[in-house]
Amino acid sequence: MSKLTEGLTYDYLSAEAAPTREARIETCNAFGGSCNSLRTGMGTGCSKNNSRKFAQGGGCQLNLALGIVSSFQNVVVIIHGPLGCGSNNLGRAGTRKTARILKQRPTTTDTIWIQTNLDDTDVITGGIEKLRQAVLYAEQEYRPDAIIIGNSCVPGIIGDDIDTLLNELDGQIAAKVVPIHCEGFKSKYVATGYDSAYHGVLKKMVEPIQRYEKALPNELADSNEKYRHSKIVNLFNVGSTSYGDEVELSRLLTALGLEVRVLPLYSSVEEISRISEAALNISICATHDDYLLGHLKERFGTEYIIDTLPIGIKNTNQWLRVIAKFFKLEKEVEKLIAIETAQLEEALEPFKKVLKGKSVFVGGGETRIFTTGELYQSLGMRVVGLKPHNFDRFAIPMIDSIDDQEAVIDVAPGQPAEELVILSRLKPDLYVGHAQANAWITKLGIPTVPLFGQSFNYMGYSGAFELARKAARVLKNTSLSKKIVSNVALPFRPIWFESNPFDNIKEAKV
Amino acid sequence: MSTFIERAKVTCALGGAIVTLSALPKAVPIVHASGGCAGTLSGTYNLASGYKGSGYCGGTMIPTSNIVENDIVFGGEERLEEQIINTVKIIDADLYFVVTGCQVEIIGDDAVGVTHRYRNDKATVLAANTPGFLGDSFKGYEAVLSTIAAELVEKKDVKEKKTITILGIVPGQDVFYRGNIREIERLLNQLGIKANTFFGDGETIEKIRNYGDASLTVVLSENYGIETARVFEQIHQIPYITADLPIGASRTDAFLHKIGERLGIEPAEIEALLAKERKYYYSYIERILDIYTDLDFQRYAIISADTNYAFPLTSFLADDLGWIPHIVVIHDDIDDLRKKEYELKFKQLGSETKPKVVFELQAGQLLNHVRKSWKYNQNDKYFDALSPAFLVGSSLEASVAQKLGAGFLPVVFPITNRAVLDRGYTGYKGGLTLTEDIISALVSDR
Repeated sequence: MSKLTEGLTYDYLSAEAAPTREARIETCNAFGGSCNSLRTGMGTGCSKNNSRKFAQGGGCQLNLALGIVSSFQNVVVIIHGPLGCGSNNLGRAGTRKTARILKQRPTTTDTIWIQTNLDDTDVITGGIEKLRQAVLYAEQEYRPDAIIIGNSCVPGIIGDDIDTLLNELDGQIAAKVVPIHCEGFKSKYVATGYDSAYHGVLKKMVEPIQRYEKALPNELADSNEKYRHSKIVNLFNVGSTSYGDEVELSRLLTALGLEVRVLPLYSSVEEISRISEAALNISICATHDDYLLGHLKERFGTEYIIDTLPIGIKNTNQWLRVIAKFFKLEKEVEKLIAIETAQLEEALEPFKKVLKGKSVFVGGGETRIFTTGELYQSLGMRVVGLKPHNFDRFAIPMIDSIDDQEAVIDVAPGQPAEELVILSRLKPDLYVGHAQANAWITKLGIPTVPLFGQSFNYMGYSGAFELARKAARVLKNTSLSKKIVSNVALPFRPIWFESNPFDNIKEAKV
Repeated sequence: MSTFIERAKVTCALGGAIVTLSALPKAVPIVHASGGCAGTLSGTYNLASGYKGSGYCGGTMIPTSNIVENDIVFGGEERLEEQIINTVKIIDADLYFVVTGCQVEIIGDDAVGVTHRYRNDKATVLAANTPGFLGDSFKGYEAVLSTIAAELVEKKDVKEKKTITILGIVPGQDVFYRGNIREIERLLNQLGIKANTFFGDGETIEKIRNYGDASLTVVLSENYGIETARVFEQIHQIPYITADLPIGASRTDAFLHKIGERLGIEPAEIEALLAKERKYYYSYIERILDIYTDLDFQRYAIISADTNYAFPLTSFLADDLGWIPHIVVIHDDIDDLRKKEYELKFKQLGSETKPKVVFELQAGQLLNHVRKSWKYNQNDKYFDALSPAFLVGSSLEASVAQKLGAGFLPVVFPITNRAVLDRGYTGYKGGLTLTEDIISALVSDR
């Protein structure tokens, strides 16, 4: 159980789609202020309905939802929509291959996706027949274990009834047929995409484990098996966890005598179907996992840990302690923590000397930026600002971890215009940011570190070392950003840099 | 009726509109759609077009109305108006251009009307309807450029005889668009021809306003840019011709002859230019003769491309490099008549063997077509295999090349295993660059 999910229920599977984040939890994507004022703002609920006068692209839940399921082994993803939806696969197909190699997963097939290519006729007559043809083509050409269909805005608005068709096909073909309702217009919060994806996965791909009575009872074997099962934990990965992260976190849990299964990204359909076979489900990111783990608890009774993100020493310690407490390994975990932190602290010394007193700004997913900020703070840096893409109950406890409670907070999905004005004033020594943000910051002359990456180990103790080492390395030569700032222009009028960027947020009245 | 497409090598009309606008000098798209469209579609090209990046105001920087469910119910015109006003206030651009996504078109928002109401002296704001369901990226390219031709380009009665407008090179979909334009411009300049290119070096919105004085539009495509060329024809009385993308010496010779003839340039002047350029070209081609002949670098060529690249690429490989053009698999979604017409082009090839030409929408079928094009190995003691082979396609074909044991170079969109800056494959210089890249691929394991 978790304080973060107190009061939330997860019995939604009878519905076609998962509820949106805005309907399910109080969440905010437009707020400007400080750590302090954000805490108050969330408390009074005024931030919930805020919006922007000048908006920039935030993201589409379809990409996040299909980002999860397209990582599964031997599946075909069908995007029911026009040719643009899911086209980001063109840029990502190659990185998927690299990720499979890094994660030591099979690379025998390419990432396969199909678009139903809805046109203006289909907008009027519906696109069900094209979807049927696409499913049959996928089955015939690739014999996948699952065919996963992402529903986009067009069929969502015109009301294509995909579930009836897909249920019918599910019984006729060998592959599991899984609908994912992830229409972009339905939610302002891309995190809804996680729930949309897991809604489909839970509905169609997760089954109770079948157990049969043994013909020849064997008490010793049975008790061995029972003991083993009491130690199996599912460690839930996310799109931004690297293989290095998975190895490091598994190493720590294995040291506590646990048998770790890393799920569900990059897993096989068979592995996912056995998701209920664990003594404990462990999350590393509440924003990503609560819908899935909450549901598994309600359906299979599997307890879960949704706590902090194990980035930095403090949060890794905290994460391990909560897990150890569940298994009544309080003493053992302290031993582990003592050994690990002693070794790490010594290794971090040289970097602390370099980083001490330097300022840092962190932008990206809410749980990752607060924990990453906390790590750099523990190395002697000052966190001068944070830009979470959205903000909700899962990150509220993390506000306290920032030393300077007057540090700037800009709750903003993307919205680089606001962020760049803030940064032009704060002028941090270092920026740590989400993909697609860092180039803009470079144009401001500020050196950057990517917030995540498929080949970077940022989690656990080895991750703390890597983040420290990387920041110190980046500061060894900041020539690129210096050259860029004097040669490449940002697209703003001068007046924008003189304005208060938070005037751009239309505050809702309480 | 259109069909589903496996791994389409295009985005939608909105994607094409966004990438086209981002490639225009200091132009900024204002996307009237849900929050994810602008970033996703721009992001596709930022990565898959040889890492061309967000540029001046692409990617997450693109202004967008971020329509949500409530707007779908009550209409999003008010939100769009607010977004236009604030974009002009905040973003510094010479041209603002409103483009639309599926959601707002289905509910019937009049984005063009809203934009026209907003028009004033402070900023140039245009608009076009570009919902994804309109079709592929090329539709968006046409929507943007034909609107510019109709509404931004000023009418001129007097035409400059030696000024032409180049269309058909679609930014993003042509990964090498800037390099390709640059070399074409360089060659034309030597004949005293000024080229209007929209996307080339040194272009400005001000210059584009004055495109009305061209005497000819040259569309370097049989399928894309035609709609815009017709607008130039109808509104500005500028006729158009189509030509093949001039990749390498053979195709560039043909291109310069065609343009020169059309503009009434003395054949002797053209021949003099060709002679000079060919001398340069072959002084470098000479360099690879040793490695080419000593290691027998003649290959069976397998080409997987769109119609803009398929024939010019095949011609380069067959006519310049002396390879055997074995099979050409083309993934454009065009009608049967245009397919037939396009197929006829391959008769011009100088090679004794002509290729098999296949139109195929599904990316996964390439391997099947190649296998069907050659007799199966029945475990014969003596088997004349389709080898040595070389595949020129997109990055999606990497695994097919591996399965065929063929050499491989991605040249058409999407390209994710190469970074492309100012490289181009057109003209004589582009032919040398392409030769470099192909030979480099063959020796890269050394």
